Amino acid sequence: MTAVAVNSRAADLWRSTPVRVLKVLFLIGLLIAVPPLIDSPYITRIFVSAVMLGVLAAIFDLMIGYAGLINFGYAGFTAVGAYTAALGTFHYGVSPWAGLLTGGLATAFIGLVTGVISLRLRGLYVALLTFFVGEAIRFSISNAPEFTRGMLGLSVRPFPELLGIDFGRGNLLAYYYLLLLLAAAIMLLLNWLVRSRYGLAFEAIREDQLATQSLGLNTTKYKLYNFTIASFLAGVMGAFYAYYLGILSPSPEEFGVYRTVEILTITYVGGRGTLWGSLFAAFLLIGLQEYFRSIGPWRLVIYGSLLIFVMLFARRGLSSFKKYLW
Amino acid sequence: MGLEVKNIVAGYTREVPILNGVNLVAKDGQVTVILGPNGAGKSTLLKTIYGYLTPQAGEVFHDGKRIENLKPNQMLREGIAYLLQGHSIFPRMTVEENLELGGWIMRDDEKRMKAALQQVYERFPRLKEKRSFLAGILSGGEQRMLEIARLTMTEPRTILLDEPSVGLMPSLVDEVYEEIRKLKEARYTILMVDQNVRKSMSIADYVYALALGENRYEGPKAEMEQRLDDIVREWI
Amino acid sequence: MDLSLLLDPYILTEVLVQGSVRGAMYALMAAGLSLIFGIMGVNNFSHGELFMLGTYVMFFVTVILGWPWPLGIALAAAVLFFFGMFLERTLIDTLRRKAGRDWVLDAFILTIGMLVVMQNLALISFGSERRGVTGLISGVLVWGPVIVSYERLMILGVASAVGLALWAFIRFSSLGKAIRAASQNPEAAQTLGINIRSIYTITFGIGAGLAGLAGGLLISIYPAYPTVGFEPVIKSLACVILGGLGNVPGAILAAMLLGIIEAYSAFFMSAGWQNVITAGLVVLILIVRPSGLFSSSKVERA
Repeated sequence: MTAVAVNSRAADLWRSTPVRVLKVLFLIGLLIAVPPLIDSPYITRIFVSAVMLGVLAAIFDLMIGYAGLINFGYAGFTAVGAYTAALGTFHYGVSPWAGLLTGGLATAFIGLVTGVISLRLRGLYVALLTFFVGEAIRFSISNAPEFTRGMLGLSVRPFPELLGIDFGRGNLLAYYYLLLLLAAAIMLLLNWLVRSRYGLAFEAIREDQLATQSLGLNTTKYKLYNFTIASFLAGVMGAFYAYYLGILSPSPEEFGVYRTVEILTITYVGGRGTLWGSLFAAFLLIGLQEYFRSIGPWRLVIYGSLLIFVMLFARRGLSSFKKYLW
Repeated sequence: MGLEVKNIVAGYTREVPILNGVNLVAKDGQVTVILGPNGAGKSTLLKTIYGYLTPQAGEVFHDGKRIENLKPNQMLREGIAYLLQGHSIFPRMTVEENLELGGWIMRDDEKRMKAALQQVYERFPRLKEKRSFLAGILSGGEQRMLEIARLTMTEPRTILLDEPSVGLMPSLVDEVYEEIRKLKEARYTILMVDQNVRKSMSIADYVYALALGENRYEGPKAEMEQRLDDIVREWI
Repeated sequence: MDLSLLLDPYILTEVLVQGSVRGAMYALMAAGLSLIFGIMGVNNFSHGELFMLGTYVMFFVTVILGWPWPLGIALAAAVLFFFGMFLERTLIDTLRRKAGRDWVLDAFILTIGMLVVMQNLALISFGSERRGVTGLISGVLVWGPVIVSYERLMILGVASAVGLALWAFIRFSSLGKAIRAASQNPEAAQTLGINIRSIYTITFGIGAGLAGLAGGLLISIYPAYPTVGFEPVIKSLACVILGGLGNVPGAILAAMLLGIIEAYSAFFMSAGWQNVITAGLVVLILIVRPSGLFSSSKVERA
């Protein structure tokens, strides 16, 4: 057989369904097995960050990649989830498990309201509006220290014991696996959503809103669905973050535009409209960040340069490589 | 002399050429009209001549000089002016400012600019009346007038007209064609595309009919007028 | 809180004066952003970093080199003018040629990347200490109950002069007319011999130069440090949105309004809440009148 024939045979095999299943299982296996095997809190924290930011980026992708909506106040939205959950526990003794839900619901509400007021606006203005909404949220939290403790910091109780698993601050792995479960649920939901008729509607709206409207599709309804669901999920992640981190403060790096830019970069580098690309990009970027941690601000220069590079030369991000690996 | 197009192959994407080897000569001082059904490539041809599209093959000559690789903003210096399809006035600038911009390439030559403005105002007294008005509030016909007047500021030799009568009421179409007739009398070389077959034929010296991006028929006006019915029937 | 204070004439006078100075500051910051936004449609989110670089140039020229401060301001403007043209030609122009329909949104994201790179390169190169000057000119003017420093008056004066010069340039110079033409109908402008690419590059340069000028002029209020651009870009964005798309005079008016509102609220609440008010105003305008307060046209926003 010629070399070419062998190569294309191998390529076909590489792309076949059983092999793909194996690839997925392999990656899941890595996610599950690596942190306990390496048994280093430092590495586990990195994995937590990567998964969390990856999922947040995937949710962001639902908005920008599928409906063309830029939520430039995204970090502020996660702050709503985080603070609703934390304050509920702090002031009213709400259980952290319920806090995940309340965080999600509160953020969904904010998302719905923001969605409604942004209906008349075009892409760029949605970005600007959400930017100011996000910053307004953050500033409001800062300026009400009697209730939120503002920049002084709000301490958050960890999850209480569940099914015999101890969620004290020392047991990082418990948090990691809890996160993996949340992440799996969210990713599967997102995946189902974009493959459903909702996803079709989202993409149609992204491509040409006017045409979609003229086809009789209620673009308002679908834009609001998209935004509200994304906000809910982001709020849940925000709530998890609160309980995981243990202490919250509304600084720009945590809940301001810098965080939004970080997540946005992950989404763009992973490839808009791909969902899973965000996870890969998150691991890539968090990995790079840790590797270059010693060189401080240079890692942010790399982030920014990557974003510029992607916008100019690799508009579909990492997903351009998908054809080689998947 | 005049404009010569040889074997132009051009399109918006490489795979789908709209023009498949078009040939054309627009003789000096004459009105050459391009007819054809929709999609025949008439506007594409004008855009390629003017440099908005780069041809995949073929050449364009103006007064003997090859111009197919020049950009639109170099065309005026070659003496070719282009009337864009649709609105091309600057709505939030005055009539006079619009005209001044027509003379952009000679903006450093104050004398020449003044003379050109004066000449335009003589030819188009209605524009002189409204010189300080914002162009956007002029009527449709007046705006078209302004566009044509603006074209003449630099005294180009050749004028490309892309659908000059589109979107205008019949009475205004007559006015516009009156202006084109005056341009013809002033010995400009005119290459024109227009949906209004009857009107454009009335003013033509030579006519080309395109179909599917290729030359189909051509001939002097008288000859083409007789065959017009047959030609148009083909389009349907 | 004593409600009668709200209408106290002394407070109102003070507010008017301080508010005008603030407004002039914001107007100068916003002018560059509004110009670029209006002519090119690009919302340059790295505008604050251009301001920041202006502060560094000013610091370098006046403190390190010891040259007179008017020269510092001029150099800040000039350096940023050329740097802005460089950025436009290498980055934004490239994006425009590659991206399709949605290039405006993509340009916004691109400028975010530029922001991150510029800010952190500044951090690496210069460190995070604030480098400023206490004042360019000293002394205060006492006018009845109102005390204004000469410095702030000078800022008001220079900002007004620059605003006037910008207006005259856009309105009367041939380049200014070409820039306006390019924003109203780029295709038509091109057929008249105007090189649109060059227009965009120069416009961006002018916008950047204005940001640099602002950074130089306001050095005593905004010293040079890597993240100093955050507030200017937020204020500028607010003014541009409040004033209306591409409406440079509108943005300037909005700036004055914002300055006065902020000065007024500074009397009654802590500084932190002013940002919430600014943000709230922007959100309100976007809901109620997206085309901006001073825009005559009903710009299509949805």
